[in-house]
Amino acid sequence: MPLDKDLSYQSKAKLHDYVPIVGRGTIEALYTLAEALSGKTVININSTFSGGGVAEILTRMVPLLNQLGVDTRWMVIKGNEDFFTVTKKFHNALHGRKENITPEDYDLFLDVGKKNVEEMQLTGDIIFVHDPQPIILISKKEEVGERWIWRCHIDVSNPDMDVWNFLYPYIIHYHGTVFSAPNFTRKLPNRQFLIHPSIDPLSDKNRELPESTIDQVLNKYGLDREKPIILQVSRFDYLKDPVGVIEAFEMVRKSIPCQLVLAGGTATDDPESDKVLEEVRDRASNNNDIHILLIPPESDVEINALQRAATIIMQKSIKEGFGLTVTEALWKAKPVVASSVGGIQLQVKNKFTGLLCHSIDGAAYALKLLLTNPEYAMQLGKNGQEHVKQNFLITRHLKDYLMLFLFLYYDNDVIYL
Amino acid sequence: MIKKIIEWLIVNWLSLTSPIIVFFACIVISIWARRRLFRYLEKVFSQRNWNNKDIFLNTTKTPFFQWCIILGAYISFQLSPVPDQFKTFFGKILSSIFIITLTWTIIMLIERIFRIYLKKLDIIPSGTTRMIISGLKIAFSIVAILIMLDLWGMPVTPLMLLLFIGVLTALFAGRDEILNIFAGFEVARNNLIKVGNYIKLETGEEGYIFEIAKTYIHIKSPDNKILLIPNSKILRSVVTILSEQPKRATQPFRFSSRLHLKELTGLKAKNIQELVDILKTVDDSIIYYHTHNFIEEFQYLTPQPANDFALWVSDALGDHVLGEKLSNVDTFEFSTIGALRERIINVIQEEISKRHEIKDTLPGREFHFIRSLSAVIPTSYVAHDLREFIEILRVVSLDTLYFHVFESRLRLHKGVNDFSIWINDCLGEKTLADEIAVLDPYSYTLEGLRTMIINLIEKNLEKDYAVG
Repeated sequence: MPLDKDLSYQSKAKLHDYVPIVGRGTIEALYTLAEALSGKTVININSTFSGGGVAEILTRMVPLLNQLGVDTRWMVIKGNEDFFTVTKKFHNALHGRKENITPEDYDLFLDVGKKNVEEMQLTGDIIFVHDPQPIILISKKEEVGERWIWRCHIDVSNPDMDVWNFLYPYIIHYHGTVFSAPNFTRKLPNRQFLIHPSIDPLSDKNRELPESTIDQVLNKYGLDREKPIILQVSRFDYLKDPVGVIEAFEMVRKSIPCQLVLAGGTATDDPESDKVLEEVRDRASNNNDIHILLIPPESDVEINALQRAATIIMQKSIKEGFGLTVTEALWKAKPVVASSVGGIQLQVKNKFTGLLCHSIDGAAYALKLLLTNPEYAMQLGKNGQEHVKQNFLITRHLKDYLMLFLFLYYDNDVIYL
Repeated sequence: MIKKIIEWLIVNWLSLTSPIIVFFACIVISIWARRRLFRYLEKVFSQRNWNNKDIFLNTTKTPFFQWCIILGAYISFQLSPVPDQFKTFFGKILSSIFIITLTWTIIMLIERIFRIYLKKLDIIPSGTTRMIISGLKIAFSIVAILIMLDLWGMPVTPLMLLLFIGVLTALFAGRDEILNIFAGFEVARNNLIKVGNYIKLETGEEGYIFEIAKTYIHIKSPDNKILLIPNSKILRSVVTILSEQPKRATQPFRFSSRLHLKELTGLKAKNIQELVDILKTVDDSIIYYHTHNFIEEFQYLTPQPANDFALWVSDALGDHVLGEKLSNVDTFEFSTIGALRERIINVIQEEISKRHEIKDTLPGREFHFIRSLSAVIPTSYVAHDLREFIEILRVVSLDTLYFHVFESRLRLHKGVNDFSIWINDCLGEKTLADEIAVLDPYSYTLEGLRTMIINLIEKNLEKDYAVG
């Protein structure tokens, strides 16, 4: 049976806790928007309650939307391991990677999708479907809901056209679609909205930590605080190029003493992670300055501590959705070296809020530049933090969602509430 | 029987009549002395211009007469032939009556003088006056009772001890309250602040005083919240009186805010020819977005980047000449989006006409046309005068500032910012309205713009002064 998220966990963070960060006016504006949605019920649907950026965002957003008075729920579809293997292939293919997708894979996707359509007891006014896994639920459009939205967290600008064409008939039936960056989209007949993801400054992953906690985590993983730490936090995934990070680090390590930490976990919908992890471990096995940390999904404080202890944070992805780990790094005022791909370009303005690279050599050069010029690195970090504060915090994300729900009911450019 | 009585009276007539004679003599003498005394006091008080002389004389006139009678009765009793124990008993009764009347007189005197004195400090609330007078009445009554008890031979030491402990406990329990009452008295005595003043405490609280109560001062903050400030806090901290009530506007200014959402259009350009072709066809909300997006997204930068077209042409096409020309398009010059669009199109077309080749950007770096969707929402902030206005302006979100300065002027076709319209139309301050209207908002960060507007209005208001 499809699962319905138990919201009893309710986020500890209350809306007024954000006032010192974003100001009272911002929070009051959210309440005004929420009031305009009074009586509407929003149902979020995705494929997992834990692991990955979507689950992470919903874990924070759903309770806050409820605090604002918008009745918001969260459900996941049910799928077996084979189904998630197929959806992982879809995910990679939509990112443009060549995948061997067989007719049986499409059939399995359809079968699981149809089963969910039959079994899910959907109610609500605004049905908010995240990513391709639950996309077939749009078949219930005539039965349930006033507005259907498809939230695509993937860069589909250059997809495997077979997969895209397979999904297209479902996508166009949604009243609106949402993308994370302008260059993630393709031309569609329905309305497309641009909503960047966000981070929660009060979450365990982003809140301030005492030095003692940071020391504890470093001790736990045998890291030397005296030696500069280069960190990449990401799932063990080819698209995050962990091997490329190791190669860049090795170039830097020849002349500058430092250590590399690759920290990440696996998601329930990502069967490929274990294979990548094994490869990375093999590649790093001969270097004592490289630390491969397999961190469970609930270890947010540990991730936070590692990021705060880091001297430089990298995100050398080959393809990237939005790159929330970059947002987290910027929020902690850390200098960032990241690939100029996907949503990273929206966050890292080269030489202003961080350094962008296009190759392993470029990454190595940027690392050396920052390690040898700490004042410059600090200034980049400071600018980055301000950029996140203005544009990528959860309060802005809440505002965008509320606006999206509202504007689905209007055709005007300007509405007066 | 009658004969015996007459005989007794003949024998003792002197013992009986002499006390009565003394009684009446005492009354006559004391009334005479009282009259002389009152004439003398009236003369002295008049010479010294004591305004409360009538109260004093009127209040003590009758009691003095009573005391004359008591004195006469006491002396006559002491001369009478009644046994000593009766004399003592009757003496105590007369003393008690004297203490009661004396206490009553003092209480009445204090109440009347105190009321007049406090009335002059019209800031002292009636509740405080009543409280102080009641306290004094109770204190004098207790002293009188203790003296009487002592007079009648009752043990007063334990009672005084109990009383002392009780008073100490009460003082300890109500120390804050007492402190606030006396602080309120001090504030009033020195005439430091009054209803209608706009005050700001060093701890950040600010607003108009609309009531001064016995323990708290009630102020109305810029966001219409009622704040209760303890009187003692007013006395302890630095209080800046920002102004007397400034001129009221004929209509209040209601602050709104604007929130925006980005809608993708699916339109994209890979070179300047495609850019200009699309620019000719898209609606105003798209032009508006790309000429104003940077203000919100990079409002912390100084100097701010120019419009999105200039940035894209420079960064994605490497065409720095056209980039500079587009950066130089001054959005502030235009009062309609249509005119702004025309200028941008002309600048690009002029460059295209000089080129032999139109260069494409790399795949993935195309210009994406985005539409701005706005929701205008009311806020709780309402300003009735310039002082309220700037205090609100200090705390409103940047979205609010953005809406009234940028969005209203261009997108809602008002041609000038909302602040200038209100200041001119509802306050009649044309000079100030013009000063704000000619500020080029595109040259500042939003925070910088906020500060500039506040400074202009501050200059217009009377100079602040501080007490505390």
